[in-house]
Amino acid sequence: MAEILVGIIQGLVIILLSPLITGIMRKTKARTQKRMGARLLQPYYDILKLIKKDEVISDQSSWIFRICPWVNFVALAAAAFFIPLFLTYSPFGLAGDLLLVIGLFALARFFTMLASLDVASSFGGLGSSREMMYSALLEPALFLTIFIVALTYGGTNLSTLVTEVSSATLLPHPQLIFAAIAMFVLVLGETGRLPFDNPSTHLELTMVHEAMILEYSGKSLALIEWSQAIKLLILLVLVVNIFVPWGISSSITIPALGIGFVSLFAKISILAIFIAYFESSIAKWRLFRIPDLVAVAIASSMIGIILYYIK
Amino acid sequence: MTIIYLEKYKKEVIEKFGDKINRTEENNNEIHFILRNINDIPLICDYVCNSLGTRLTTIICTDERKIRNGFVIRYVFGKENREDVFIFVTALVNQDKLSFPSIALQIPAAFLYEREIKDMFGLIPVGNPDTRPLALHNWPENTFPLRKEFDLNTKETRQEKQYSFLKVEGEGICEIPVGPIHAGIIEPGHFRFSILGENIINLETRLGYTHKGIEKLAESMKLEDALLLSERIAGDESVANSTAYCQAIEKIARTKIPKRAENIRTIFGELERLYNHIGTLAGISTDAGFPFGAARLNILKERLMQLNESSSGSRLLFGVNRIGGVRCDISDENRKVIINTLDRVSHDFEKVIAFLKAKSSLMDRLKDTGKIQRKIAQELGVVGVIARSSGIDIDTRRDHPYASYFSHNHRTPQQLAEEQIEMEKRSGDVLARFELRVKEVRNSMTIIEESLNLASDGMFTNPPELIMPYGSALGYSESHRGQTIHWIMMGENNSIFRYKIRTASFCNWPMIEHAILNDIVPDFPLVNKSLDLSYTGNDL
Repeated sequence: MAEILVGIIQGLVIILLSPLITGIMRKTKARTQKRMGARLLQPYYDILKLIKKDEVISDQSSWIFRICPWVNFVALAAAAFFIPLFLTYSPFGLAGDLLLVIGLFALARFFTMLASLDVASSFGGLGSSREMMYSALLEPALFLTIFIVALTYGGTNLSTLVTEVSSATLLPHPQLIFAAIAMFVLVLGETGRLPFDNPSTHLELTMVHEAMILEYSGKSLALIEWSQAIKLLILLVLVVNIFVPWGISSSITIPALGIGFVSLFAKISILAIFIAYFESSIAKWRLFRIPDLVAVAIASSMIGIILYYIK
Repeated sequence: MTIIYLEKYKKEVIEKFGDKINRTEENNNEIHFILRNINDIPLICDYVCNSLGTRLTTIICTDERKIRNGFVIRYVFGKENREDVFIFVTALVNQDKLSFPSIALQIPAAFLYEREIKDMFGLIPVGNPDTRPLALHNWPENTFPLRKEFDLNTKETRQEKQYSFLKVEGEGICEIPVGPIHAGIIEPGHFRFSILGENIINLETRLGYTHKGIEKLAESMKLEDALLLSERIAGDESVANSTAYCQAIEKIARTKIPKRAENIRTIFGELERLYNHIGTLAGISTDAGFPFGAARLNILKERLMQLNESSSGSRLLFGVNRIGGVRCDISDENRKVIINTLDRVSHDFEKVIAFLKAKSSLMDRLKDTGKIQRKIAQELGVVGVIARSSGIDIDTRRDHPYASYFSHNHRTPQQLAEEQIEMEKRSGDVLARFELRVKEVRNSMTIIEESLNLASDGMFTNPPELIMPYGSALGYSESHRGQTIHWIMMGENNSIFRYKIRTASFCNWPMIEHAILNDIVPDFPLVNKSLDLSYTGNDL
């Protein structure tokens, strides 16, 4: 019972905490640009503001456009429940593994792309074609990376994975270093950060993800923004818990869970700040140079796999 | 010197076309050839432009039906090789015929001017293949705002009209319409892309959404009020525009302005160039997705704008000029502030630029993007940074010196040769424009420092009470975007009969359709920013 309760809390924490992480990243970027930046809690206020606003829906759109924000939110919120957060396992883990989480991501992305084509705006088509290109490139890299982790720890079930990792000593497997490098590139790509996509751009013609959701307003936009934040947090949690899980609680006692939560939050924040710094130090790459970057991720995970077999 | 060149070109043209020219007039550095027959326009313009090595500066149409029974068209050609000469080819359009031969096929730069004349005066350019309206969108038929009988306060009801864009067809080719309303806070302009995947096959621009009727408005204004109007043509070119305006009036009134005023005009003109160039460099960094560099450069821009405020009272340098001199003095205290601020800005600027140049991800975006071919740039008659960055050596400050630029033009033969070689090397991509702006920022700082040795002969001379009616003159300056041309014809009682403005943006906008052709869609904002085009400066 307690397990299920903790499981529910873990999922809810991801959903509720995610805008804060976005806030931390935005604040960091603002500070690197010598700006004060908005408050850390601004993403929450943005979501609240958007929920109160009316929606404008194109009369050229179909039901796909209207259900897309809900599919997004439900898919990503559901994924949140499979992620071990401050406990090494999620009680819902039996229902799905890492592959399911990635499947849910793909579902959300698929509907976003459909919806952007649905409204027949010129930017939607551009955005979805670019997103399609990115996802076609990123997915093999993602699966190769997961493959390394799964080979090393014997399975794709996140709960067993994280339990295995947390009991291991500091980086026992060299291939994981390469997987971590690949994973970092993938996080940038999957969440549309620089150099893949500029999340704060106002230039319609350079947008990728923003171009797809250009037609959304009000509640729908709030849901999409929120699910993006959830996706970002899930990916950060995966990186942290697969590669540096120390401090995570393996038993359901209040102090252990407390330590688990605090250490996780600290690690996530550090990773978020690091990514924001990285973004500040790089310009957006040319669209057709992005495959080079993904190739780095693929090469890195290939090396990881080779290392696994020659060991 | 100018007079020798004037005589030379007068002789050359008259020798060749003596029987076609009714008479000639000279006015400062302008020589006017008044033609007998309007059909000789293409022949003589072609000769002046292509054989005498001039560039089409502007085409001016005036409604002079009250004075000479017709519309007058003046084709202005400027020499750009240190011979300070403007050649005017003038012809009368009979008011019964209302058409004139097009020169657009010989001189492509004339395309837009002829369309503008068709819009504003209803004269048909015979032979110009493009007959679509340029600035007046959805106006009713047969209303021509710059004709004298058109009342300024007329309210026209708009009519829905189709504007036909070039259709590009083929398998997989899509059209993306962008604007006129954009996602960012910028001015309106419509871009019609034809794309194949991400590659741009064709781009067509449509502007004029903020057409304000400035030229018409000026005709009802007093000279002093029109000065304020000229400052507000484009807020970031206020000094360049008001300098050009004042010079035109001063030339008509034959007023010589004091040396101190000349120096001050130069200083403020360069201060304007400084803050705008740094702003554009920041914009290039933003649009390449590198907000960090943009933030650092914007800090410098802000410091310069604060300097503007402390020395002129306006962040955008409004109210600097007056007819016959300047309104705003530079005190000794201000001199020190300017020197100190420029020192600090220059120091930080060099650091930021060194940092940006070491950033490979940024430099990779700039290099070979938005390449401009020299030949196309020449034919379209682009001006300013865009022209210079693609190896066309023109600069109004040097070719037609005004204010105190005479004294900054001294070069040793070696320097000249070095400049020539550097000019040849420029490749016309975004990086070339980036580097040229950096260079011009440094250059502007030097010019300001040299100009700060102010003469003490007063700030202005008063022009004569009554300026000769129907006198006309060309005023010009080099804004940060390029050559700015103002032509004024005085009316009776110190009124303005015709005020023709041609900003650099008008010449430079067509270039974007060519600059982008080898690039992909997401590079468009970067190329656009690097060209630094003004919507309001185009939509007069």
